Amino acid sequence: MKVKREFVLREIAGDLLLVPTGKTALDLNGMLTLNEVGAEIWKMLPEVKDEEEIVQRLLKDYEATAEEIRPDVASFLDRLRELNII
Amino acid sequence: MEPRLSKYLHMKGSQLGLPIAGTFELTPRCNFNCKMCYVHLTEKEQKLCGRELTTEQWLSIGREAKETGTVFLLLTGGEPTLRPDFPELLHQFKNMGMMVTVNSNGMLPGEGLLQQIINDPPVRINISLYGTSNETYEKQCGIPAYDRVIRNIRALRDAGIEVKVNMSVTPDNKDDIRSVYETAKELNVHTQSTPYMFPPVRLHPEMCGKNFRMDPEDAGKLQAEYDAFRCSEEEFLRRVRALQNLTSPDAGNEDCGDAIGEGIHCRAGSTSFWITWDGKMTPCGQMAEPAVNVLETGFAEAWRQTRANAAAIRLPPECNSCDIKNICHACAAMCYCETGSFSGRPDYVCRMKRSYIDAMMQYWQTKYGGEV
Repeated sequence: MKVKREFVLREIAGDLLLVPTGKTALDLNGMLTLNEVGAEIWKMLPEVKDEEEIVQRLLKDYEATAEEIRPDVASFLDRLRELNII
Repeated sequence: MEPRLSKYLHMKGSQLGLPIAGTFELTPRCNFNCKMCYVHLTEKEQKLCGRELTTEQWLSIGREAKETGTVFLLLTGGEPTLRPDFPELLHQFKNMGMMVTVNSNGMLPGEGLLQQIINDPPVRINISLYGTSNETYEKQCGIPAYDRVIRNIRALRDAGIEVKVNMSVTPDNKDDIRSVYETAKELNVHTQSTPYMFPPVRLHPEMCGKNFRMDPEDAGKLQAEYDAFRCSEEEFLRRVRALQNLTSPDAGNEDCGDAIGEGIHCRAGSTSFWITWDGKMTPCGQMAEPAVNVLETGFAEAWRQTRANAAAIRLPPECNSCDIKNICHACAAMCYCETGSFSGRPDYVCRMKRSYIDAMMQYWQTKYGGEV
């Protein structure tokens, strides 16, 4: 999946933050906080082709069913689309 | 108002001892020559006093700061854009994952710098706007720079970059306080103005308690006049009521984050640090001490020592029982710069604040004539 904006993922005092860099600092004047799964998804975004691949990858690491994971992944990706990040 | 995430990170950083926010004072050199400045040196003076850090030294300190937990970074000077490597430093610090803000006088020397900043912008640029005419600039800064500064502010705004206008008010530009406010409003940029000028003790220890500034009573009155023209009737009344209740009408200084206590009560040395142009870490840029040489100790150790040094600072005991302690916001740096000691009461600040409170009450009576 194509990430359209530039961010640096950082961990500060146990919190995971996406810090805008490059011209992203103009359009998105602030940082985004992620939970652990959000950060996992973020890291795999450039390598995956679609939503289902993210679900399948997460299934390997988390004790949950695809039906349980799918809505959370969709909602996370929707938020990124709203912010024009992907 | 400070974003919630920033407040949260500072709160967590304070518990864990992390340097969440820092300032890199890239140079003491400046293309302006303001009488009240606490840091400005000419190139000749700077070379006699010490050596500015190299690009690689700043980048190395930046990397260490990032590894130790720094998220918010302010680049300041002197005039930081005078360094030829300024765009490179800004770019690299951003790429490290820090939210970078820049302090500038807005001249942005040379032809390409403005465009370079627009192409690779900081989160915000704080620009000192000293007046609204070349004549005021000539008087205040020794250079008729208004036209260029205002053109640059417009260009930055047009490019979508967040600009904040700060006005340092002195006897030379006090008559422009209203027009600066109006100009900032027209440009749709946030503005902050203060007549409080820290004595430049870092440059001249003998200037302790002194600066080129208004007398404290006039400074307080001017601050009230500023509130009177910028606030709606409702907001003005809210401020008057807060003052009557001996509480602060402001949320606190967003750059420092104040609270009241007998130890140091801002973020200096708790979650924030300052590194001077010659590589010394202090809790705050107004303090010449306690200072730790970052190049000798490394960043993490300098931060550890700075925290310990700041925690040992005790403020004037009489301020703790003062009736206006919640309004005053007198900080450790004010005590130090006004009296030479962290535990000395900064009388200039007391007089300025009391004058401000009186003038606010008087404005309320004469302007609105109502009960509070």
